[in-house]
Amino acid sequence: MALIDFQTALGRLVRVPDDKNPLRGLNLDTGERLYIEALKENAGFRFSVSIQRSWSIGRAAKSAHLTLSILPDNERRRLLDEWINSGAGTQSFYHAEADSFLDFIMGRLINPSHAHTVCQLEQATLRSSNGTNYFAAPDLFRLNSLECLLGRGRYAGLVRFYAEPGRLLDSLQKHEPIPPLSPEVMTMLFAPGLDQLFRPASIDEVNLWDRLDTPVAVGALLGEGHQQETFEILLNVGAVEYTT
Amino acid sequence: MNGNLTQPLGIGFPYIATLPADLYRPGLIDFVEITPETICRQRGTGTTAEIEIIPSQMNLARQTCGGLPIVVHGVELSIGSAHNWNDAYLKMLDEFQASWSFVWHSEHLGFQTIAGDDNSTLEIGVPLPLPATKEAIEVVASRSAAILERYRVPFLLENPAHYFSDFPSDPEIGGDIGLMRGVTEKSGCHILLDLHNLHCNAVNHGFDPFMAIDRMPLSRVMEIHIAGGSWRDGFWMDAHDGRVPGRVWELLEYALPLTPNTAGVVFELLDEHAVRLGAKAIEEELRRAREIWNLHWSN
Repeated sequence: MALIDFQTALGRLVRVPDDKNPLRGLNLDTGERLYIEALKENAGFRFSVSIQRSWSIGRAAKSAHLTLSILPDNERRRLLDEWINSGAGTQSFYHAEADSFLDFIMGRLINPSHAHTVCQLEQATLRSSNGTNYFAAPDLFRLNSLECLLGRGRYAGLVRFYAEPGRLLDSLQKHEPIPPLSPEVMTMLFAPGLDQLFRPASIDEVNLWDRLDTPVAVGALLGEGHQQETFEILLNVGAVEYTT
Repeated sequence: MNGNLTQPLGIGFPYIATLPADLYRPGLIDFVEITPETICRQRGTGTTAEIEIIPSQMNLARQTCGGLPIVVHGVELSIGSAHNWNDAYLKMLDEFQASWSFVWHSEHLGFQTIAGDDNSTLEIGVPLPLPATKEAIEVVASRSAAILERYRVPFLLENPAHYFSDFPSDPEIGGDIGLMRGVTEKSGCHILLDLHNLHCNAVNHGFDPFMAIDRMPLSRVMEIHIAGGSWRDGFWMDAHDGRVPGRVWELLEYALPLTPNTAGVVFELLDEHAVRLGAKAIEEELRRAREIWNLHWSN
């Protein structure tokens, strides 16, 4: 059996044991196919799969620790299972998958909810702290071009709190009941160029952030009433970036 | 380029950032084994991934290790992956060596990535063993030779622990030991003899580890690992989670006199278990290793 075919078959089976067709595209004869099929019943194979699964769950859990801690046990388990069953959680550098895992969780949480807020917070913190290694304030001169496209900063985030943030985080840390959802929203901006990586966002900044869910030209934004000064402030801290 | 060391290093211990720095002191530890990935981050994924050394982590590691010599023990190379090895790891190691030289470096004899359907690289999530075949020997030996040329220090491959009882092999190669022998003979690389991995395989597959040592190319052994493990689901697991079992100490006493080129013995421990085990227990294991080491060298 060619090494690459054997490794591909074994690797697929360990990554996703429920793979319906793990031998697709492989150059295996009947005997080799039977061998691979039989391997699935081997106790050592099953143990290796259980280690892989346990490590993958551990890596995923570390990458979304705070968010998972706020969820009920059964929901936490369901999300982790769904994520791992898709073949994720395998990256040794688990931070590389953390952003996608938080996206995956966020898409499955009720919005608004404290769980959704904590997920936003964890992702914004991850992005902005990561961004401190790479972010440099851009040249504002490009704003003079009305065709210039602006988008959300790749290392930035906006977090909407439906309770006083300190109180919410304190109750999570102390495993105390979390406060009820408040109709008043407090919005925090996270970006790599900010002192301590975050500060409260102004209404103008929130409006611009919400508008930039896809890139928009400077001319169009000005036409809608957004302010040049807001662009400059947010570009300087990495909350907004040029997308062309 | 890949010759034996003239001066044995002695007793080593992994660099674990969460442990007290004063553990890394001459007299207790003679050299430090660094897994560079623990001071790195990955940027991007798949073929565009880069592994970057985090300068602050590198500085902390250097400060902690003081003037102790270091060796590198990598985990990300995937030297046995037929489709490709991890080029990002090697690029990182180039940078690492340029700023902090190491006496030798080592990797695990196995694979942990496969090609995806679109020919991207997929991580399996756990290292897997290689079949004992001529093709596997060719793949690993040619890469090992390239690594020797690239870094100009000894390169060691570690015998893995694995749980598969029925694995493909070519009759003329035999099994794990034949695979290791073939790779070392063809490439000139050395062996990192992990006695706890050997113990795991002996317990789980039912063979005599002392007889297995006798069959190994012992003159190629340059480093020995000892470690702890634990039972899980009926298997003795290579968990690196505690003290060294009695059987592994016996294996060390047996192996050292048979491996004249062994330059260091490392007590391996994973960072997530190190703080729980504690500095006192770690020091006790290191002292016991030194006693065996000293006894061996005095003879």
